[in-house]
Amino acid sequence: MENLSETAYAYLLLVPALILLLVIAVYPLVTTFWMSLFADALSGSANLGQFVGITNYVELLTNQRSYALPSAFMPTSLTPNGIFASALGVTLVFTLVSVFFETIIGFGQALVLDQDFRGRRWVRVAIIIPWAVPIVIQGMIFYLLFQPGIGFLIGTSQDPSLLNQLTWIGTTPLANTVDATSIIIVADIWKTSAFMALLILAGLQSIDRSLYDVAKVAGASQWQQFKMITMPLIMPTVLVAMLFRTIAAMRVYGIIETTSACTTVPSLSCLVVTSFNQRAYGTAASVAFITAAIIGVAVSVYIVKFADAEGGGF
Amino acid sequence: MGSEPQSGDSTTTIGTSGDRELKRGPFSRWVSSSIKNPERTYRAMFYVVTAFFLLTTLFPFYWLLVLALTPPRALQNVGLYPPGGTLNVESFAVVFQRVPFHIFMFNSFVLGILTTVIVLLLASLAGYVFGRLRFPGRGPLMLAILAISYFPPAAFLLPLYDLFTGNVAIPIPFTGLAVGFPELYNTPGAMVLPFSALFMPLSIFILTTFYGQIPDGLEDAARVEGTTRLGALFRVIIPLSAPGVATAGVLTFISVYNEFFFSFLMNNGEPGSWAPLVAGIIGLQGQYDTPYHLMAAASIIGVLPVAILVIVAQEKIVSGLTAGALKE
Repeated sequence: MENLSETAYAYLLLVPALILLLVIAVYPLVTTFWMSLFADALSGSANLGQFVGITNYVELLTNQRSYALPSAFMPTSLTPNGIFASALGVTLVFTLVSVFFETIIGFGQALVLDQDFRGRRWVRVAIIIPWAVPIVIQGMIFYLLFQPGIGFLIGTSQDPSLLNQLTWIGTTPLANTVDATSIIIVADIWKTSAFMALLILAGLQSIDRSLYDVAKVAGASQWQQFKMITMPLIMPTVLVAMLFRTIAAMRVYGIIETTSACTTVPSLSCLVVTSFNQRAYGTAASVAFITAAIIGVAVSVYIVKFADAEGGGF
Repeated sequence: MGSEPQSGDSTTTIGTSGDRELKRGPFSRWVSSSIKNPERTYRAMFYVVTAFFLLTTLFPFYWLLVLALTPPRALQNVGLYPPGGTLNVESFAVVFQRVPFHIFMFNSFVLGILTTVIVLLLASLAGYVFGRLRFPGRGPLMLAILAISYFPPAAFLLPLYDLFTGNVAIPIPFTGLAVGFPELYNTPGAMVLPFSALFMPLSIFILTTFYGQIPDGLEDAARVEGTTRLGALFRVIIPLSAPGVATAGVLTFISVYNEFFFSFLMNNGEPGSWAPLVAGIIGLQGQYDTPYHLMAAASIIGVLPVAILVIVAQEKIVSGLTAGALKE
């Protein structure tokens, strides 16, 4: 080992990690891709199990699979579109809205945590904790909050009080696509704003404090300091954090499954799992790869547009 | 978001200051003093915003507590506090009678610790390679590791399920023989392996940063003293990066404890099959009733371990996410 060249030594040390990734990630991905080239029950039973090339991809992208999933994958409010279009639509709405609010709230939380004040440790703990909450418990929390009959958020009585006017009286919002999507977005913002805040806080703390001293001497107001120093210096961090959240949000599954099951809010990952459960492996695999491709495009756009401008973060 | 109402307030206070000659109630005195001293206004704004964030992040936990303490027969239109002035502390004990919740928690801990050990070991080697060695293929390899995280977990599910249930034989080259992959379904292996592959990339990125910061001179000195290359890694580099290693460990453990997908699908949900917390929470929903108070109590119990970990390791979490996510 001592006589190996640096390159050989590097690859030797990488062997354990690469074996794990090959067996647990690369092998299944290749197998899944291979599956995506075969017809399944959703492609019509006539050619079940036949090699059909990219037919699954074409049919999904052109929305020819609306007829396909038997067990109410498609909520009635989305029926006009194909299964893929609705899943993509729900996923994009979820991603854009939640990442947008997470960025704003996370930024606010990071600015608070960047201050020096008594009890800052505990405030930081309070703000971080939602991020550490297991997804199944996050789902349970929001399921309970919006469960008719028990919670004050959903009144059952005819009580005309303001609170009941504002809420869904006696209905189950989690069974309705639009309401359930909003609730899942709120749940996601609640949990992952903290992640955004942590990343942005780290960026804030790496800003050279002497810049603010100079600005103060020059007579800049707090707002001017924020606009001229904090914002430009923190933007690269914010963009990276948004990229990470976008990748994760595009794959959203757990919170949907635990609050409302995939029948009311069909995200792309839900479509993959639902078709897997229907033994429609070709369809499931194709959706998985299209999802990864969409994420890949988003990441590439990001790298080309932003990372280069900042002198290369990646 | 939180700052909106507050900035609205401060504009009105500036507006009312025009008639300060007329009367000096406590409010207008406060207003004029805050105009003279804008730092105080910023401070007040800051406390309002902080209070808003505390309220929004902590309220769901408070609501869980209220539900958990509500007696089952009073679970109708529960308000902001448990009804009737009686606290039903029993729920927290009943959870353990209804399902073996302690075994599910124990399983979660075992899975988390096993994964953390594997990830730290493999990611230490990889982090050393990426952080300290220059070799052809470094960039593409790191990009490939990152790219694996683009895929929805479901894209790994079926082949792994087949593999772990022993349905796949691995051919041994040149011999014509094949060995079955060990049957891992319903064992910790079926979850620890996917978890490790899933969470190793973040630890690699964290450790790459920490190991990369150690001056070359220290490693060279150890080598001159006669340690082997690996000896230098384990005796010099890793001890010097102890904070980074601890950080990667904490983040890996929290990620495993958080995980839903493989925890849910890679076992049959029985406590004896190493089903973690997920199964414990979901298993509470009975066939004939929905014990909301028990679900809430179980959720609180389930959150406690990570809450404690966050309290103890908050500095590490902040520094680790910076290193892992931003430096690469």
